Amino acid sequence: MTDGPLIVQSDKTLLLDIDHPGSVECRRAIAPFAELERSPEHIHTYRLTNLGLWNARAAGHDAEQVIDTLIKFSRYAVPHALLVDIAETMSRYGRLRLEADPVHGLILITKDSAVLEEVIRAKKIAPLLGVRIDKETVAVHPSQRGAIKQSLLRLGWPAEDFAGYVDGQAHEIALVQKDWKIRPYQELAAEGFWHGGSGVVVLPCGAGKTIVGAAAMAHAKATTLILVTNTVAARQWRDELLKRTTLNEDEIGEYSGAKKEIRPVTIATYQVMTKKKNGVYAHLDLFDTHDWGLIIYDEVHLLPAPIFRFTADIQSRRRLGLTATLVREDGMEGEVFSLIGPKRFDVPWKEIESQGYIAPAECVEVRVNLTEAERMLYATAEPEERYRYCSTTTTKRKVVEALVERHAADQVLVIGQYISQLDELSEVLGVPLIKGDTPVKERERLFALFRTGEIKCLVVSKVANFSIDLPDATIAIQVSGAFGSRQEEAQRLGRILRPKSDGRGAIFYSVVSRDTVDQDFAQNRQRFLAEQGYSYRIIDADDVFQGKI
Amino acid sequence: MEIRSFTDYLRSLDDADLSELFAARPDLVSPVPPDLASLAVRASSSHSIARAVDSLTEFEFQILEACVALNEEFTLKNLISITHKDAAIAVPRLITLGLIYPTDKGLRLPTSVSQLLINEPAGLGPASLAKLKLTELNEAPEAANRVLAQLIWGPPRGSVGDIKNPGPGIAWLLDRKFLVPLDQRTVIMPREVGIFLRGGKVHKSYESTAPAVTGTKRVEKSVNMAAAANVATVLGWVEELLHFWAQEPADALRSGGLGVRDLKLISSHIGIDENCAAFIAELAYLAGLLTIDGDDRILPSNNFDIWLTQSAETRWSALAANWLTTSRVSGLVGRGEAKSVAALGPELDRVNAASTRKLVITLLNEQPNLAPDLASFTRAIKWIAPSKRNPGIQEELIAWTLREAEWLGFTGQGASAKYGRAFMTGTDEIGIDTDLPKPVDHILIQSDNTAIAPGPLEHDIARDLSAVADVESRGGATVYRFSEASIRRGLDHGKSGEEIRSFLVKTSKTPMPQPLEYLIADVAKKHGKLRVGNTASFIRCEDTSLIAQIISDKRLEVLSLRKIAPEVLICDLDAADAMNVLRSAGYLPAAEASNGALITGHRSHRAKAKSKPPRVIGEIDQPTESTLAAAVRSIRAGEKSSHKQSKIRDSAANALGSLPRTTANETMDLLAIFVEKQQALSIGYADNNGAVSHRIVDPIKISAGALVARDHATGEMQSFRIPRITGVAPL
Repeated sequence: MTDGPLIVQSDKTLLLDIDHPGSVECRRAIAPFAELERSPEHIHTYRLTNLGLWNARAAGHDAEQVIDTLIKFSRYAVPHALLVDIAETMSRYGRLRLEADPVHGLILITKDSAVLEEVIRAKKIAPLLGVRIDKETVAVHPSQRGAIKQSLLRLGWPAEDFAGYVDGQAHEIALVQKDWKIRPYQELAAEGFWHGGSGVVVLPCGAGKTIVGAAAMAHAKATTLILVTNTVAARQWRDELLKRTTLNEDEIGEYSGAKKEIRPVTIATYQVMTKKKNGVYAHLDLFDTHDWGLIIYDEVHLLPAPIFRFTADIQSRRRLGLTATLVREDGMEGEVFSLIGPKRFDVPWKEIESQGYIAPAECVEVRVNLTEAERMLYATAEPEERYRYCSTTTTKRKVVEALVERHAADQVLVIGQYISQLDELSEVLGVPLIKGDTPVKERERLFALFRTGEIKCLVVSKVANFSIDLPDATIAIQVSGAFGSRQEEAQRLGRILRPKSDGRGAIFYSVVSRDTVDQDFAQNRQRFLAEQGYSYRIIDADDVFQGKI
Repeated sequence: MEIRSFTDYLRSLDDADLSELFAARPDLVSPVPPDLASLAVRASSSHSIARAVDSLTEFEFQILEACVALNEEFTLKNLISITHKDAAIAVPRLITLGLIYPTDKGLRLPTSVSQLLINEPAGLGPASLAKLKLTELNEAPEAANRVLAQLIWGPPRGSVGDIKNPGPGIAWLLDRKFLVPLDQRTVIMPREVGIFLRGGKVHKSYESTAPAVTGTKRVEKSVNMAAAANVATVLGWVEELLHFWAQEPADALRSGGLGVRDLKLISSHIGIDENCAAFIAELAYLAGLLTIDGDDRILPSNNFDIWLTQSAETRWSALAANWLTTSRVSGLVGRGEAKSVAALGPELDRVNAASTRKLVITLLNEQPNLAPDLASFTRAIKWIAPSKRNPGIQEELIAWTLREAEWLGFTGQGASAKYGRAFMTGTDEIGIDTDLPKPVDHILIQSDNTAIAPGPLEHDIARDLSAVADVESRGGATVYRFSEASIRRGLDHGKSGEEIRSFLVKTSKTPMPQPLEYLIADVAKKHGKLRVGNTASFIRCEDTSLIAQIISDKRLEVLSLRKIAPEVLICDLDAADAMNVLRSAGYLPAAEASNGALITGHRSHRAKAKSKPPRVIGEIDQPTESTLAAAVRSIRAGEKSSHKQSKIRDSAANALGSLPRTTANETMDLLAIFVEKQQALSIGYADNNGAVSHRIVDPIKISAGALVARDHATGEMQSFRIPRITGVAPL
């Protein structure tokens, strides 16, 4: 028995004691193959998953390394069965390889003919295959490169893709680093991606994923299709690219509901791509109109299903996924792995924060007591109306007012789910509101004013959850949300994590009605934020009114 | 003394020889037979012989088969010529076991050995009655050779279309008596032909020493560490399983045992596969930690509470000892057959399970730091104990035992580890307590509402903590999660919010996160606002003064009334009784319809009954020196008295000229001799009405408790039930 920092649990979680002197070294050693699940203050939890182990294999780690690492750092003896399981799982990756053969085109090749026999016999695989070339090789229909990878992953035999990529139409792109510098981790991420071919880069919100994208484009030096969540995000990508690269306005096109430009670098929204006209996806052709050399997926964890389907067909193009979290609430992590690629780079939130690239943040839950009348109304409300009711009470409004007043000197965002509530807040606070039907021009104008500090406070609906760069917001006040969804919390918190010019920390308030479902959802939120390592405290609304925060 | 029979041989043995026989076949002295004739009968019984044969190695068994093939008295030289030179080593052991015995003319088998055990030894047919010119076989035509090749390694029988019109090859063989017709469609190859074709040997090959076990070499230190992990894990599994059933007892199947659904449930709860879950359940069952109560619920017994307080070493030893000696085979559960065998059910007993298990562990322990590969290991075990009784599951049994040995920590990384070895030698200290991580007395509480015990937690703390938190992950450490439901459970256990808080503050090494304090306070505030209780009846009255009068009425004390609202009383007696009491006290109550559901609170279930561990088919214990000596003494004494008695009986019988009378054992003994000699004899035989008649018969064989013989009076074959044979006498 050693006195290591790591405890290996039988359910394949790893507990890392971060107060242990060896924890930093251990963290580095296990990061490639274990997914960080929670990082609260004392013990971090990692999990060994099949995808994680395969990701490690894709990154060139073998089972022996993984096992040695576990044994080296483990505090207690590691169950042998678990080690055997790791070795077995890892050995499954790469047993099958997709390669480009000069004669037969795309082939599936293996050194282990038994595995090939097994997969050839699988019902889902057979239609994707062409002729059997020899005992260890079978041709694959080139159009099915994505589909076969998906199916093989489901069978538990993930294939390694060595079939290479088309270069795409060349287009000169370079980074222009005049008044800024690319951060070391951003550079590592871009390089990690480039050497891996295709894959996903995981960076926390506010860590500058756009720049990783730009750096990847500078590597590819080819025409690029960028897929983003919405129009505002598209414009921000354009602005960033103009600022950070040699690209000029004419070289960047926007393909959205409003405009349909196709340029060497085209930024398209998920929404327009998945719009159906007469039952068909009218705009998916965009993937084919140009000989793209690189396709960037922003916010991969939100990638809609039709895009996956189409991505399966463009496996010969380089794909870069950018995201803050690989967790998909729909559980389609496997699709991301097989279609976009394995994880190529990952760095935990806290580490970047400690390097000063994102602002430290504190989370505060403000508990509001409902009045007797409100409680009665809540108690008698229909179950499906309850959340709406308790999250939009008048008492909450007063707390928000008090908080905004307290932070009069700061840039404040008030974020909510229900438009009527936001309308009311905007009116009471006397500040502008940005919601779904606010025209894009108007949104941009307001965001610009907010950035310059002319507007101190904005009320925003969930449209602002994603990809909107508001560097100087230091305070976020959340009044209602999508039932405590983890993704939403991460996004909202991300809005205020850009480093502040004066190095101040950010505060993320959630206003919660006591003894209601609102409070139950707040518990999910607390768990998620604490798991991410943020300090979390609970205060009473009275403390806010009395100025004790 | 001339040795004519097995009994004679036994009589010729001295005390030391007898002692040796008993040591080799302990079943012969349990219980001790009254005299040597009885001993001979017992030693010739099919059960006893089967046991003796089971203790043979593959090589010894081959030699025994060859002895049977030799049929008549034979010499060691004969035997070696048709087998292997090392037969000389095997023969003394076979003699010790009483499976062959020396006579004046050479070695012999007790008749029952050849009769009961082997019809076609080593796939050889019966001895030929005719004189054969075996050298002619070398010139056999091609067609005949093809036929011979089919039969050479047995079975020696083959079917032909029609015996009267055989093919040319068969005809050639039949002509020369190299094949003998058995019936209209079957021919059989005589033994001599078989041995000749096998190159003068009975078997294809002989391995006179055990085959080597091969496998992967392991490092001793990591083997022991892995075993320690296994030991800790298995103890955790057992505990977890029982805790699980304490909360939610499983229902036993009507046919007995654990249903597939419940098995799945525990396997997913503990996070192990179903085979392992069945194994763990069986372990707990054997150790008496769980029981199936009168209502067919499967739940922990009160032994479990004691078990929890014991040291890891004691707990493990209990599991290991039960596992080694049980005849129950948990590997049979869910073996993928049409009919599924249930864990904890009545169908798990297999007769050679314990002996195989012991054998496997012994052999493992003989190969330090070697993780054997299954094929060579199985081969070695099968050489040591070629099971004749349950050959079907022998191989699986070995694989299961290896698997279970790893689960249990007898092995680590597949190689035998020090705990198992120490346990087998019976030392007091196995070393588990020193090697397993020391219990920790603190937890780390984090603000995501988890608490982590960075090692095995002390029993008291673990118990208190699991009352207020749910276990989320186990292993070296335990991760507990606090939630509204878990805190509520703690409050249900009778702890106050403040008690929970101070317990956590005291136990936690890290400061208590503020959100958790809020959580506890929130739940505590809400807990108990609603009160639920049981009552048998209620008394309701809108007149509060009447209520006051009733509750202060001394005559109504028997009702043990309690006021729960100004207008409502509750009462322990049911409505009818309460009304009677009220009426007799002069009140005028009226019945009111009511319906109330009973809600029982959270409870950890225990059976009141004593645990009944499952039945175990025991192997017979190896007798001690003194038992053996006592057995020999007792037989010698019995022998003297029975000799005297039979003499008295004989002279009485001669005087009266009546039917022969012998004791049951003498009867068996004599019958065996006569069957062997194929000599006619006279018997007394009782008919259905008890009338005894005198028969002269030609004995043919003894089978299924009956003597098959040809009756001289009728000339027909008849079977005489041995219990009805009153006596046997030579003619």
